[in-house]
Amino acid sequence: MGVGLPAQGHTRRRTQTEATIYTLTAWVSVGTDDSVTILCGSQEMGQGVFSGLAQIVGEELRVDWTQVQVGPAPVGAVYDNPLLGAQMTAGSSSVRGFFTPLLYAGATARQMLVEAGAKALGVAAKDCIASNGQVVDTATGASISFGAVAEAASKLKPPAHPKLYSTKTYVLIGQSVPRPELPAKVNGTTVYGADVVVPNMVFGAVVLCPTRGGTVASVGKAPYGAQVVNLGTGVAAVVSPGPNCTTWAAIEASKQIKVKWTIPSSAAQQTSSLILAEAETLLANGTGIVAQSVGNVAGAQAGAAKVLSFTYILPYLPHATLETPNCTANVTSTACEIWAPTQAPAAAQAQAAAITGLALDAVTVNCMQMGGGLGRKLETDFVTYAVMASKALGLPVQMVFSREQDFTQDQYRPMAVCGVTIGLNAAGAIVSWDFRNVSPSILYQRGLPQGQLDDQAVEGAVDLPYAFPNLLVDWVPSPATIPVGFWRSVGNSINAFAVESAIDETALATKTDPLAYRQALLAGDARALAVLNAAATLGGWGTAQHSGYARGLAYVESFGSLAAAVVQITSVSGVIQLVNVACAADCGLVINPNTAAQQIEGGIIQGLTSALWSQMNFTKGVAQTQNFDFFRMIRMADMPPIQVTLLQTPDVAIGGLGEVGVPLMAPAVANAWAALTGKRLRKLPLFPQA
Amino acid sequence: MPSLTVNGQIYNIEADPLTPVLWLIRDVVGLKGTKFGCGVGVCGACTALVNGVPQSTCNIVLADIGSASITTIEGLSADSSNPLQLAWIAQQVPQCGYCQSGQIMRATQLIAGGANPTDEEIDVVMNNICVCGTYSRIRAAIHEAAGA
Repeated sequence: MGVGLPAQGHTRRRTQTEATIYTLTAWVSVGTDDSVTILCGSQEMGQGVFSGLAQIVGEELRVDWTQVQVGPAPVGAVYDNPLLGAQMTAGSSSVRGFFTPLLYAGATARQMLVEAGAKALGVAAKDCIASNGQVVDTATGASISFGAVAEAASKLKPPAHPKLYSTKTYVLIGQSVPRPELPAKVNGTTVYGADVVVPNMVFGAVVLCPTRGGTVASVGKAPYGAQVVNLGTGVAAVVSPGPNCTTWAAIEASKQIKVKWTIPSSAAQQTSSLILAEAETLLANGTGIVAQSVGNVAGAQAGAAKVLSFTYILPYLPHATLETPNCTANVTSTACEIWAPTQAPAAAQAQAAAITGLALDAVTVNCMQMGGGLGRKLETDFVTYAVMASKALGLPVQMVFSREQDFTQDQYRPMAVCGVTIGLNAAGAIVSWDFRNVSPSILYQRGLPQGQLDDQAVEGAVDLPYAFPNLLVDWVPSPATIPVGFWRSVGNSINAFAVESAIDETALATKTDPLAYRQALLAGDARALAVLNAAATLGGWGTAQHSGYARGLAYVESFGSLAAAVVQITSVSGVIQLVNVACAADCGLVINPNTAAQQIEGGIIQGLTSALWSQMNFTKGVAQTQNFDFFRMIRMADMPPIQVTLLQTPDVAIGGLGEVGVPLMAPAVANAWAALTGKRLRKLPLFPQA
Repeated sequence: MPSLTVNGQIYNIEADPLTPVLWLIRDVVGLKGTKFGCGVGVCGACTALVNGVPQSTCNIVLADIGSASITTIEGLSADSSNPLQLAWIAQQVPQCGYCQSGQIMRATQLIAGGANPTDEEIDVVMNNICVCGTYSRIRAAIHEAAGA
């Protein structure tokens, strides 16, 4: 196993071991050394997609997993994620989007190998099967390896209607096969974005206008003999070749460039307290864009025995991927090559083509392993700056964001104010659910016309698993101009905090156990109840616990998956301590239980960090937190034990898992804190002083 | 001329004496396994051994490093056979992997000399940030390596 090279665009290439590699299809190449290279249309950013997607291809191919190499696909429409209609890694969609196409991709290559193998064995293809990297004659047991027939198979026409195996015969899907890219991650040889070395490359660093929306008015010189590139929204310092050509020198030089900025007049309003006050006004008085309406909320509320109303407040959040944004670009008069840790290689290619004036096919994108994506690397800003600098200087440039630039120049998770008004009947059941989200729009900032619904803003607020007879969900766009973007689980982590806190508050207001209350709301939904009850059991809900301990519960459906969590906490001198997290999830079919669990664990940790401590505040458009010294993250000593149980449901659409752990945590912790202290926290982060 | 000793090799360095060792390792020596995370010595991504002791290398500068011997992830073993590396694979620790060079180098201190650290000792020493949240697997891998 290992990480392979991207496809070379021709049918054969030589490896170091002198094996010849034959390309069978866009997805599968086979070497005369029996190696099987599977290309991955999604990018690896830690989520295990190199094993997950390759297992799907490998299942139908019937490979020997130890012979599998996985590499990133080049830019090409054939590698678009069918669920997204684009070559992107986003929305927990890799397995969901690629599952069926990759089964067929594997079956296609398998049938070509079987046909070639049967011919070599002198038997009919219908009498042969593929098994563990061999073509086997079922009558005699005679076999020949994939590698021995790779060349012949590569010359065959792919079958028009390849046949798939029954799910009952799966040998790779459902197995925790080892991740192919891990060996390189423990010996330092993985090549992340800024690890690439291009001949004659020089180092650059950006300093963008601290006031978001500002532009360069005039620019002075940089020290260290660095060259200055005007990027419009900021500047870059690029250090000259020589003994002092280091990224550090570029970062230091960038900080010392004298720049005069043009600040937009709107910046004065871009202060967190003002943005929040305006959102609260819009919550009360704004005109909403309806996202979902069922029955008659106003009428049901008017007739309700009791009406509860809650407001929840969330801050802007930075992504804080450990690998800061970076890109290496080499622009010549005829071509542009870029090396980028990107979740959106096709967008990066288009952006580079637009800047250079080159045709798309003159722009080569090398997708590097990502030191975390989290939605930050869907953007192309960092690609833009590298390409602009390389074009301006005529040299390959490796452009790196310092951590301070990463924190202050992000496209943040939107701040939000969510209001929930709930009508109850005399028995304490919900008869009306009126939910409003006020938040700046990710999609308006990307061209969606004003007045339309930004569906990202109401993810997790619409199509709730709970059956409310009367429901109204609307959204009021906040006019704040701070750049916002896609942050792991997007709208779900915003709205789930409000929905699952409000459900808990309603349960307590009706003196009902929060688990029982949710069970009643989910009555008849066997799959949801199974997940909820599995988490409750795993987390010991309702069982005895130490005095001074408490549990909180949340249930969230997102990205086609169902998930629930029980968080147990205690308090030491008034400071929260995480005792345990138990999570159950059902994504339908699990491809790799190990990576599935890893994704849920990772989502839980990110959800906990952001719920407990994370925020980004702005003063007149300037981000106020610059580095990890003032941005607390969960570390080892904070880490609670986590148990994950994966439920599977046959014959349902597959769900994603990369983000589903995140939205559970803020409400589960807030609910636990309310159970522990009787005090309800409705504003994130829950413990801003920690 | 100042020099830098990395993984037993001595490199003559002409760079600015205020250049942090991290960037000399990466951009002058050319070993890319040691990572940049914060630049202010708080995240641990750049952890390497300085005279055998794990330290952040983003805030130690050339002028102060003297003749200290530096060991990076590349120098931990020739073939990924260090018990920590083996345990990291066995436990399938990494997700994105970006912090793991630093985590492994930090963990060397815990198992040095056949030590068998407690969870509390791991909590104290293993203070590097992992955004992916692999901490419980790191803990398990350290225990496994200590028992190896």
